[in-house]
Amino acid sequence: MAKLTIDGKELEVPDGTRLFDACTEARGKPLPHFCYHPDLSVAGVCRLCQVEIEGMPKLAIACNTIVNDGMVVHTNNERVRKASEQILEMHLINHPVDCPICDQAGECGLQNQYMEYGLYDSKVEMVQKTHKKKAKVIGPQVILDQERCVLCSRCVRFCNEVTGTGELGIYNRGDRAEIDTAPGVDLDNNYSLNTVDICPVGALTSRDFRFQKRVWMLKAAESICPGCSTGCNVRIDYEGSRIYRLKPRFNPDVNRRWMCDKGRMLYKAVHDEKRLTEPMKRSGGELQTLGWQEASETAVGMLKPGRVDLVLGSPHLSLEEAVLLRRLGLKLAGEDQLVGGVAGAEVRPGDDLLLNSDRTPNRAGLRMAGWQELPVAELVAKLREARGTVLVHGGNPAADESVREALAGCQHVLYIGTHRNETAGTAALALPGAAWAEKAGIFVNKDGRLQAFKSSIVRPGQAREDWRVLSELLAAAGEEEAPGSLRALRKSVGADLFPDVEFNLVALPARGVNPTAPVAGGEG
Amino acid sequence: MSFEGLPKGTGAKKASFRDAIYFWEILRGLGVTIKHLVYNIFHTAEMPTMQYPEEKRVYSDRFRGRHRLMQREDGTPRCVACQMCSTVCPADCIAIQGAEHPDSEIEKFPETFEIDLLRCVFCGLCEEACPCDAIRLDTGIYEIAADSREKFIVQKDFLLNNKEDGTY
Ligand code: SF4
Ligand code: SF4
Ligand code: SF4
Ligand code: SF4
Ligand code: FES
Repeated sequence: MAKLTIDGKELEVPDGTRLFDACTEARGKPLPHFCYHPDLSVAGVCRLCQVEIEGMPKLAIACNTIVNDGMVVHTNNERVRKASEQILEMHLINHPVDCPICDQAGECGLQNQYMEYGLYDSKVEMVQKTHKKKAKVIGPQVILDQERCVLCSRCVRFCNEVTGTGELGIYNRGDRAEIDTAPGVDLDNNYSLNTVDICPVGALTSRDFRFQKRVWMLKAAESICPGCSTGCNVRIDYEGSRIYRLKPRFNPDVNRRWMCDKGRMLYKAVHDEKRLTEPMKRSGGELQTLGWQEASETAVGMLKPGRVDLVLGSPHLSLEEAVLLRRLGLKLAGEDQLVGGVAGAEVRPGDDLLLNSDRTPNRAGLRMAGWQELPVAELVAKLREARGTVLVHGGNPAADESVREALAGCQHVLYIGTHRNETAGTAALALPGAAWAEKAGIFVNKDGRLQAFKSSIVRPGQAREDWRVLSELLAAAGEEEAPGSLRALRKSVGADLFPDVEFNLVALPARGVNPTAPVAGGEG
Repeated sequence: MSFEGLPKGTGAKKASFRDAIYFWEILRGLGVTIKHLVYNIFHTAEMPTMQYPEEKRVYSDRFRGRHRLMQREDGTPRCVACQMCSTVCPADCIAIQGAEHPDSEIEKFPETFEIDLLRCVFCGLCEEACPCDAIRLDTGIYEIAADSREKFIVQKDFLLNNKEDGTY
């Protein structure tokens, strides 16, 4: 441990700590900075984080200094403040200050730091500024404005160190230095939008989010990416009933500060025009909308005990839904008529960074709830035998051609889902459930970590939270203790699955919890 | 003003027959009216009443009337859809959707720009917040009438070509 004094405050930090992090701890907020990023190597190029260390003749950059026992550091005296102001002024010399059309405005390092450490009058006229390329498309997801860049090199380091793809580089020297890709190379990797997140200014912005919304109008909800079994922690940025973007949320045990581009685009499925928004019933070959009242009655009729031949779950269900569906299934049919899903479905090549080959968010949770999956052939055989009701909840099992044919052969398919997909196409009755962003729940990732997601936007049309639909059906099937609230449901799920573990499903810790290894690792 | 000579509200004095029938007071009141009527007939120029709509009040140059969107030289909006105005608007009555401008020099422009005039309180904050001098309330138009609520939600094209006569 090293003892040091920062701004008159004594503190003790582990040996090897960066002075930058020690200052953050002492001050309660970070030093001004552009280039330092905790998940990347230190570049020390922006020179904004300068501090005075007693006994050193010159100011030193805190990001590239390791703490020493007995250091006395000043971060807020006249000399340091002057240095940060002047460095900031230097960064802004050639900056276009086109905040009105810049998507970064509102979460921009230059804006924030100018308000905190700058507030000088500009000495540079617009005509004197060096001009570079603006709005240059450098990849399928990212657009570059070279004039706004402060050459912090974070994006370059990200592509070199995290993805190892090395698409970006700094070309030329002096005030003509600029970020670019080599001729003929695109910033085209599955993690490219992370460069947009770490770019402290509006030099790299997302093409998908471009001009859609000003960031201060967005609300945020903590969520979990449903794209694969890694379960990256994400933030849903939404306004009203529309999601505008997904951003990664820091979780040292899962995704650190990154997420993949595929995952970021998943919000689009929530706004798909093929969303199932009303209950629909087949009459004369066509699906026709009907009210919930009538739909519930029909559903209850279809699910009379003894009439149900198969209950098909899905790894897209939340843990709570999987447990509740299983309770319903056991009430209506036998153990061997419950199938968790198609084994090996939705497996596509992953990568060794975050994207997992299993593209479902909750396969581990499904198994935790007691479900078994079946290979396609066995499921098809079971479906062929089914004469009564087949209850399908979540996902789109009919994406598989042979499952679709088998389901189409069943007369009484009851589907609870989110889209008018192939499975809904085979249904006699389709009930609209909530997409992941419209409900709260728990996903269990590939390592067995339970992570809670919260609801953000309102559900479209008549769609209902799935657990409510299940709970209603369960009550109709004669269950006296059908849960009346998500809280009650979580309590009973916790009591069912983890009778002897000391944690609370109602309020999971922000980073999730792994019941098989409950001690959360990683740094704060 | 003096209250002397006026009958006291809680007076013990019982009103006389002459006061009780109000007749003389009515006549006296009519007298005042007729006096003004006759005076006004011969002195129309001094009358405070304005003959609206034939005659209109002249407001100060700083009067905040209905908004207009300023045009660039080629007639396209000067607005860059930065949404400072809709952010500052206390009535939350401006709705803008930005989009990519075909001219890469301009980059961003408002694809839609709506103001709900029924909600606007004509505070002028939008005009003040605009970094591009793209929205002004200097039309002097205060006659804002329409026969349906929808018509009060005015669109970009209307605001760009704000007509003086106030018709929609
Ligand atoms: S990066 Fe964008 S928001 Fe930030 S100061 Fe530059 S133009 Fe303004
Ligand atoms: S583009 Fe952004 S992240 Fe990359 S060097 Fe410039 S400012 Fe830094
Ligand atoms: S005048 Fe005031 S209330 Fe009306 S649109 Fe502008 S900011 Fe909003
Ligand atoms: S403040 Fe001006 S430029 Fe910005 S959106 Fe409003 S009118 Fe357009
Ligand atoms: S943050 Fe230390 S030099 Fe950039």
